[in-house]
Amino acid sequence: MSEEKTVKNRKNKFIGENVNRIDGIFKVTGTARFATDWPVANVAYAVIAKAATAAGTISGIDSAAAEKAPGVIGVITHKNAPKLTPAGNLSGGSVLQDAKIEFFGQHSAVVVAETFEQAQAAAEMIKFTYAKAEARVNFDELIKTAQKSPSPARADVVRGDFEKAYSAAEHKLDAVYETPIEHHQPMEPHSTIAMWEGDNLTIYNPSQVVMGMRGAMATVFGLKPEQVRVITPHIGGGFGAKGGAWGNTALAAMAAKVVKRPVKLALTRQQMVNSVGLRQKNVQRMRLGADATGKLAAIAHETSTHTGTTSQFVEGCGDVSAMTYAVPNSLISYKTTAMNVISPTFVRGPGKAPGSFALECAIDELAYSLKMDPIEFRLKNEPDKDPANGRPWSSRSVVECLRRGSEMFGWKNRKMEPRQVRNGEFLVGSGVAVGSYPARQQGTSAIAKLTRKGTDVEATVELAASDLGTGTHTILAQIAAETLDLPISRISVKIGDSSLPPAAGSVGSVGAASFSNAVSEVCLQCISELQARSPKSSGPSDPVPVNVAELMSEANLTEFQTRVDARPPAQAGQYSSHSFNANFAEVWVNEQTGMIRVNRMVAVTGAGRILNPKTTRSQILGGCIWGIGMALHEESILDPRWGNFVTRTFADYHIPVNLDIGTIDVAFVAEEDKIVNKLGVKGVGEVGIVGVAAAVANAVFNATGKRIRKLPITPDKLM
Amino acid sequence: MRPFKYTRATDVAAAAKTVSTNREAAFLAGGTNLLDLMKEGVAKPSELVDISGLAFSKIRSSGNVISIGSTAKNSDTANHALIRRNFPMLSQAILAGASAQIRNMATNGGNLMQRTRCTYFYDVNMPCNKREPGSGCGAMEGINKGHAIFGWSDKCIATNPSDMSVALMALDAVVKVSGADKKQRSIAFADFHRLPGDTPEKDNTLEPGEMITSIDIPMSSAGMAANSYYLKVRDRASYAFALVSVAAAFEIKGGSVAKARVALGSVSHKPWRCDQAEKLLTGKSLKDLNDASLRAAVDAELMDAKPLEHNGYKVELARRAMVLAFKRALKSEVVA
Repeated sequence: MSEEKTVKNRKNKFIGENVNRIDGIFKVTGTARFATDWPVANVAYAVIAKAATAAGTISGIDSAAAEKAPGVIGVITHKNAPKLTPAGNLSGGSVLQDAKIEFFGQHSAVVVAETFEQAQAAAEMIKFTYAKAEARVNFDELIKTAQKSPSPARADVVRGDFEKAYSAAEHKLDAVYETPIEHHQPMEPHSTIAMWEGDNLTIYNPSQVVMGMRGAMATVFGLKPEQVRVITPHIGGGFGAKGGAWGNTALAAMAAKVVKRPVKLALTRQQMVNSVGLRQKNVQRMRLGADATGKLAAIAHETSTHTGTTSQFVEGCGDVSAMTYAVPNSLISYKTTAMNVISPTFVRGPGKAPGSFALECAIDELAYSLKMDPIEFRLKNEPDKDPANGRPWSSRSVVECLRRGSEMFGWKNRKMEPRQVRNGEFLVGSGVAVGSYPARQQGTSAIAKLTRKGTDVEATVELAASDLGTGTHTILAQIAAETLDLPISRISVKIGDSSLPPAAGSVGSVGAASFSNAVSEVCLQCISELQARSPKSSGPSDPVPVNVAELMSEANLTEFQTRVDARPPAQAGQYSSHSFNANFAEVWVNEQTGMIRVNRMVAVTGAGRILNPKTTRSQILGGCIWGIGMALHEESILDPRWGNFVTRTFADYHIPVNLDIGTIDVAFVAEEDKIVNKLGVKGVGEVGIVGVAAAVANAVFNATGKRIRKLPITPDKLM
Repeated sequence: MRPFKYTRATDVAAAAKTVSTNREAAFLAGGTNLLDLMKEGVAKPSELVDISGLAFSKIRSSGNVISIGSTAKNSDTANHALIRRNFPMLSQAILAGASAQIRNMATNGGNLMQRTRCTYFYDVNMPCNKREPGSGCGAMEGINKGHAIFGWSDKCIATNPSDMSVALMALDAVVKVSGADKKQRSIAFADFHRLPGDTPEKDNTLEPGEMITSIDIPMSSAGMAANSYYLKVRDRASYAFALVSVAAAFEIKGGSVAKARVALGSVSHKPWRCDQAEKLLTGKSLKDLNDASLRAAVDAELMDAKPLEHNGYKVELARRAMVLAFKRALKSEVVA
């Protein structure tokens, strides 16, 4: 029985429908429990005190006043902290194991008190003295001596002979693009309740990868994985910052162990800048060579960036240049320098978002120098297989995305020469860019439980998935309801708990594909197992439709459950699978003040089967808005003398506000991908942001004639 | 944040007395800036005297002035008919500041009292002469993109963040204050905020315990209502402090400029009155107002600007913003 046929014969149609979020009502009524909302008796409050220097050691700690302050239960520093095993298990952030300071704002003490206010007041009383060392915090200086990245994942990738092809090319571009440090800053700052029962640890903690957090906490505390339970049904955004385990979560568990009480620890907004990772600053030199017809002959994408002092994380900015265009000669390389900052980590569209800013602006510049329409230029260099690995595409819709977007946007009216369209004080311009992100399914187990009362069946699907607020609960309910042919009101989705069957994480756009295929499989397995048990049935080859109530009744069952361990299809590895996006932006630039407004935007996405156009559209909208922020607003600035961020709050770290956002039209092109996974789902979490900044920057050029290659494009840069 | 005592004032004199005798006490009105400062550990009052219940929330006309109560909310002020009709530029300026939610909480007196948004002032780990006299200025050699180009000292380069104050400066407002012993006085708006000099910890010329009771705007300034404009240039469309702002107001009589009032925001420790530009524009016939003559007035004003390492753009931005604000204020009356 093919899965396709089964799902086509259901009375209850939910897959691909605009189903409202089933968790929406809990969010808007304030009843959805985020980590620190869980009622826990006898809870104490922890506040972190941070280092005020970027390198050296803590030479003295005066915590006498803090220890005597009202309500204080415990003060933990490296002098009295329990010994843990953070190395290799935490993404970053100190857990008070020694006196060493690696970056400004490193966790240096934890104060636990009866109330949050008492803990905070006492934390301010701790006085640290430091033996300061020279801090590596001046990016502009350090980058001059950057060395080849030691990370094997960032070794040079060479195809053909770049130098030869580039020097022979008729049209060349050589330009440097710069993106600043950015921070995730999800609406919900990282926050934890940790509680111990004997040697068993339970943490309520926003975790994009539930099982990963369990494993990390187990090894940090020397426990078996099953001694740790991670509970995280609702997450207020993560964008990569909640993908790994950071020091703050371990500190909450450590504090609970020390004071022998449940402990609540929430980072402040200001603390978020040096606690849970960041997007590194990237300087990308692009060299492109093309012949007279616009056929690309050579691309070099050389990224210079920084790591932390204790981690080698480097996002793959050059990945986009390996696979977006058919180009026979290419060079992708990375140079890094260690800096005294919190470890860089994954941020939405990791590598691809900053990388595509460089590549897609460079393409626009080269096309303009050839007097070619940038869409035509891209179509001319469309690859028929993945140039990065020679594999066929499982599906690829860049051309369709560009064509559809071009029609929706009215691209044909765009003037190739800049400064041609004026509206009062404003110069108007249009830009385009494409983006992509790999699509993968990861192993995920799931249990389906059916309960029958008469002819009424309720089903629960259980898996240790996570919902960042993107709609995981909803798509899983849709799949379970349609596959079991039940009303959606009869479906419960239990996720965000490590005691459930192990699942992939909501990271790298693997969540939807991994979770939905597992739920689909377990529901199909329910049906086939029930059919096998049913005395009237001739076995699993019975024709559809199905009626699980009848099947259970025939088998005389009121309860039934089954489990699958879903795995990605074997053939998927022989193909190249990505989600694709084309972004179009129209900007209005006030010629006098330099203020920029993205008046309208079109985003067309090809991402396999769209399980829920409504929640998917929201993901793409979020990507567009963040991309506008990346293009125009976001910048974390380090003081090059001391290594502190001068952009600690939303007053200084700007993200778009409502008034910055004009019309955004989102559309999907049909992609039927039977290779990527059984359901043909690709995921859209990352791809939505990827091409946006370049589309905006290209539009700014078209409006003003100015190429701003250093983000964000703020009014001062247009003076 | 440390524990503090909270009292609700019922009487001006008593409140003033509390704050003048306890140097660690502070008035609390809307709290939209003070509470932030307390959470950051920048302000550490031992006592807050809540004056929001005192009877200073009226906006009324009394003959030749319109008096804006100090505890009236920013949104109520911006939307008040008397203000919209007579001083539309003040409405524009208030509405250009903060967000709707903050304007609903923030008071007029508090708007004048808000402190600089310099990041080194806000971060208690950084040196700042304004927060901690003698500790040095973190911004001087640091990241100073948002800092002053006029009137700064070697002790402090911070700017005043208020939009409302820039408009009030151009409208010749007067700040009415009441102190301990019920002593009342009037402070010309130009004298209310001060330059940093050697004492950047003092933002204004209030004496300890003095409380703003109202801000009075002369009706003579209403003659500029038809030709006024508040232009705010910022890094995003809303909810951001100005890079540069301009309050420009003109009274046109018989085809020429009878009165010109111009002030710049976010360029100095106080709203920056542009006397030079005003002088050059006053008396000009409208037909002589064009890009060149407006530019000449602006250039005269900006000649003395002293930009720092990262804020040189402010000079050119102020130049362009002033010309644009003049044109918008003068509307069709100016030849482009």
